[in-house]
Amino acid sequence: MLEFSIFVAYLVLGISLVLIFFRLVLGPSLPDRVVALEMLATLTVGFIAVYSLSSGVTAFLDVAMVLALTAFLAAVGFARLIAKGGTRDDD
Amino acid sequence: MIEWLVDLVISLFLLTGVGFMFVAALGLLRMPDLPMRLHATTKAGALGGGLLMIAVGIEFFGDVAVAAKAGAVIVFLLLTAPVAAHLIGRAGYFVGVPMWPKTHKDELEGRYDHETQTLMSPPGLADKTQDQQPKG
Amino acid sequence: MIGPLASNILLALVWMGLTGNFTGTNLFIGLVLGYLILASALRDQPGFAAYAKKVPKAILFVGFFIKELILSNLKVAYDVLTPTHYMKPGVIAFPLEAKTDAEITVVANLISLTPGTLSLDVSSDRKVLYIHVMYLEGEAEVIESIRYMEYRTLEVLRSTPPD
Repeated sequence: MLEFSIFVAYLVLGISLVLIFFRLVLGPSLPDRVVALEMLATLTVGFIAVYSLSSGVTAFLDVAMVLALTAFLAAVGFARLIAKGGTRDDD
Repeated sequence: MIEWLVDLVISLFLLTGVGFMFVAALGLLRMPDLPMRLHATTKAGALGGGLLMIAVGIEFFGDVAVAAKAGAVIVFLLLTAPVAAHLIGRAGYFVGVPMWPKTHKDELEGRYDHETQTLMSPPGLADKTQDQQPKG
Repeated sequence: MIGPLASNILLALVWMGLTGNFTGTNLFIGLVLGYLILASALRDQPGFAAYAKKVPKAILFVGFFIKELILSNLKVAYDVLTPTHYMKPGVIAFPLEAKTDAEITVVANLISLTPGTLSLDVSSDRKVLYIHVMYLEGEAEVIESIRYMEYRTLEVLRSTPPD
């Protein structure tokens, strides 16, 4: 049963990856793409969780932990870029 | 029997977690404007990741180090998701990313001063709470 | 003198050392036992009495928060999965009861994680939180539910209960 659930989980996560990729490509504005990147990082954390369940290898959980934090730092950096230096849409 | 039950619980967390991840991804694609995309990704994304990590925590419950790592990931996700959403949403709003035309009401409009980078509160409220200022 | 929380953790560590069992489950048992000892033996000391009252409130609050989180997600999920958009979004100004930086941060983060609300920014004079709301059917009800959420949060954060 667990094998089947893991198979379904991989499948759904894969589809989600494609959906997020569409948003990343479509945009339309830079903040939208940044949201997509954030979501991509969260999805990777999810992938790592499913992988540790399916293989029993827990080493990647450290990566998940760091990724959860660095994705946040990236979002902070992008937010500053958007507010201070990005191209403006309203003038 | 017990093992079967544990497997069932793990599968349950796994599938609901993945389901919320999918909802977040679909919401990101389908929602009409930036703040609403943020609604979908912060809530569903953080909860989905959290549920998946709970599944990992149950599977490796005997191993304290792994369970603690899974717990740490949940805490980080729940702490960082709303802050990141606030930062991106705020930056996007003030840079002028268009809102959905059907947006019902916007009390934030025109309250931000780009020169001094200050954000005013609505006039009625500011007057009402004026006498409390020294306390804050 | 060390604070109530530190005493509780210290008692838990002593319990772990005495039983010689260094696992997460045993740490949890130690924390519960330590709390019971502190709540009963030191209830005449004001600091400890406040701590004894706060812990159940904090646990109830976590339960309340998880309930809100799941409800919010089901609502968003329903909206994402149905073909038509039933949303009526808008940005509202919410007058803040929270005063200090820490309180505002916690309240704003919790608002972002609960049903249909996303905190966008705090006004420079820190009196108002601008919130993006997804379902603005009855604005008074929305503000009322956020106000309740804030009240529950401040109840846990503050030593004296909010008005």
